[in-house]
Amino acid sequence: MNNIQFNDRRFGFFFVAPAVIVLSIVILTPIVIAIVTSFYDYTLIDRSLNKFIGLKNYFNSISSAKFLHSSIVTISFVFLVVLFEFLIGFLIAILLNQVEKFRNIYYFILLIPLLINPVVVGLIWRMFLHPQLGILNYVISLIGVDPVNWLGDPQNAFITIIFVDIWHQVSFMIILLLAGLASIPEEPYEAARVDGANGFQQFRDITLTYMRPVIIITLLIRLIFALKTYDLIYIMTKGGPGDATDLISYYIYRSAFIGLDLGQAASMSVILLIIVCIIIYPLFNYMNRADE
Amino acid sequence: MSKKHIQLIGVTKKYQDNIVVKDVSFEIADDEFFILLGPSGCGKSTTLRMIAGLEEMTEGKIIADQKDISIEDPKDRNMSFVFQNYALYPHMNVQKNLSYSLKLRKIPQIEISKKIEWVSNLLKINELLERKPSQLSGGQRQRVALGRSLVRDPIAFLLDEPLSNLDAQLRVEMRQELILLQKKLSKTFIYVTHDQVEAMTMASRICVMNQGEIIQIGAPQEVYDQPESIFVAKFLANPVNNILKTSIQKKLDKIYLETLGISIVNKKLKDRSEIYFSIRPENLFMTSPDNNESIKANIVQIENHGHELLISCQIPNSSQLLYFRSNKDSKISIGSKINIGFDIEDLLFFDILTERIIK
Repeated sequence: MNNIQFNDRRFGFFFVAPAVIVLSIVILTPIVIAIVTSFYDYTLIDRSLNKFIGLKNYFNSISSAKFLHSSIVTISFVFLVVLFEFLIGFLIAILLNQVEKFRNIYYFILLIPLLINPVVVGLIWRMFLHPQLGILNYVISLIGVDPVNWLGDPQNAFITIIFVDIWHQVSFMIILLLAGLASIPEEPYEAARVDGANGFQQFRDITLTYMRPVIIITLLIRLIFALKTYDLIYIMTKGGPGDATDLISYYIYRSAFIGLDLGQAASMSVILLIIVCIIIYPLFNYMNRADE
Repeated sequence: MSKKHIQLIGVTKKYQDNIVVKDVSFEIADDEFFILLGPSGCGKSTTLRMIAGLEEMTEGKIIADQKDISIEDPKDRNMSFVFQNYALYPHMNVQKNLSYSLKLRKIPQIEISKKIEWVSNLLKINELLERKPSQLSGGQRQRVALGRSLVRDPIAFLLDEPLSNLDAQLRVEMRQELILLQKKLSKTFIYVTHDQVEAMTMASRICVMNQGEIIQIGAPQEVYDQPESIFVAKFLANPVNNILKTSIQKKLDKIYLETLGISIVNKKLKDRSEIYFSIRPENLFMTSPDNNESIKANIVQIENHGHELLISCQIPNSSQLLYFRSNKDSKISIGSKINIGFDIEDLLFFDILTERIIK
C-alpha cells in the first residue's frame, strides 16, 4: 500500500467510524452479552449467584421437546410463507410489469401493507378475524358459511397466521421482483422470439435467467426475516392456542421474560443467530460476487 | 428480377395519430441485398421490425415465400434478425448463443454441431465458442450475432444497422465480409442503415425512406445518378452535394440560369421562373477563364481529406457555397480567384415546390 492509498483509507475509516461505534454499542454489545449469558445459569437475583455452566444450556435447549416443537413450527411457517409469498409475488410482479397505465397507483396500493407496523397489522387482523365481532365471519355468514374460529383453533391458527404474514409481506416480494423484471432489457426477448422461442421458453430462458440473482437475494432476505417473526405472534396468538403457533423467536421471548430462564433463552438465541448466519453466508457471498 | 420472395403491400404503422410508416410497398427477390436507407426516425427500422413480426402493422400485408405472414408470430415467420446492439443472450456462451434457435427447433445434436462448426469457421469465431458475450469485443459480438442468424436457414436475413456500433476500420472490414457472405449464400438480405456509403457499396437495390414514406427504390448507381428528389440528391452524397436555387430567364430558344450565368437548351424548364439544380462536387473542375461555360469563384475554405481536397467557394450570384473536389497537390489557397467548369449533362433540375426532379 502506498502513501496515497493509506491516506485514502484513513480518510474512509474516519467517515465510517461514527456508524461503526454506534452499531457496536447497540448491536454488538447485546450480542456479546447474550453469548456470555448463554454460558451461565442466570438468576436475575444477584450477580454473584450466576453460575458458569459451560454448554449445559445448549444441551438442554437441543434436547428440549418444546424447543424441537417450535423449531418444527418455525420451519414449516418459514417454508410456507416464503414459498407462497414468492409464488404470489412473482405472479403479481409479472402481471404488473405488463401494466403501463396507473403503474404508480398500483405500486402505492401494494406498498401500504409494507408501510404498516407489524403490531398494527396484527391488531387490525385480530379485529377482522374476531369470531363474533369480526368482519370476516360476518362476510362469510352472508353466503351461509358458519363462523370460523380463525385464531382459536390450533389448526386454523397456524394457517391464519401464515395468511396474515403473506398479506403483510407479499408486497416486499412484489416490489423487489418487479424492480428486477423492469430491469430486463427488451432485446433478448426479441432475439428469442425471432429465434423461435414461445412464451414459456422465453420465460424459462430469458426471464428466469435474468432474474436469478434477484430471486436468490429476495428469497434469502425474506427467509431471514420470516425466521425472526415475532411481533405478529405476540399480538395475534401469543404462540397459541396451546403451542400451535409457537415460533422460535416467540418461544425464546417466553422462556426469557415469562419463564425467566435467561441463560437458556440466551443459548437458544445464539443457536438462532448461528442458523441465520449460515443462511446469510451464501447471500453475502453472492452479493460480493455480483460486485465484481 | 428473379423470383419474388418478399412482398410488402401498403404497410402502414401508426402510434395513435402518429404515422411512422406510411403505405410502404415493395418486392424483394430471393437473392437480393436490399437496403432500407434513410435518416433516423424515417421508419426504416420499424419497417424491418414489421417484416420480422416484432412490431405489429396497422394496415397492409406482408407476403413471404408465397405465404401471407402478416399476422404470424415472429417465431413462426422463419426470419433471422441481427440487432443493432447485438442482443446476445448474456448468460449463454457463444456456442449456446449460436445453437439456441436450433435447439428450440429440436434439430438433432449432430446437425447442430455441424452447423456451428460451419458458421464458426465462416466467421472465424472458433476460438470464442466457450466465452460469454461479456468477454467479447464489439467486433466479435457482431460476428456472433451474425452467426446466430446464419446457423438457421431463414427465408430472409434481416439486419438492423448491424455495423453502426463498430469503429470505422472494423466497419469497412465487416462490410466487405457481408458482401461476400451474401454472394456466397445467395439469400435475401434486408439491411437497414442510415449510412449512405454502406448502402452504395453493399446493396443490389436501395430503398430510400423519409418520414415514413418510400422516396425512391433503385440500384445504387441509378439512385445516385438519377435522384427522384432533392432529399435523395442530398442524402446520397459523400460528403455533400451542391443544391442551389436559381431564377430562370427565357432567351430566344435558350434558357438562362442566373446563378450559374449560363444559357442552356432545355424545353422542360421554359415555363418556370425559379428552380433548384444540383451538381455533384466531383463533376466540377477548375478551368481556364476563357471557358465559356464556367463560373468565376472565390475560394472560401479548403478541407484537406488526405487523398483530396474539398474546396468550398463563393460564386457571384448565390449566397450559397459551391463545393468541389480537387487533387491534393493543387496549388491553391483561400481567397484565390478561380474558374469552375462543368458539363451541362451533369446538371439535374428540381421543381421549386415539390422538390421533385424535372425530367
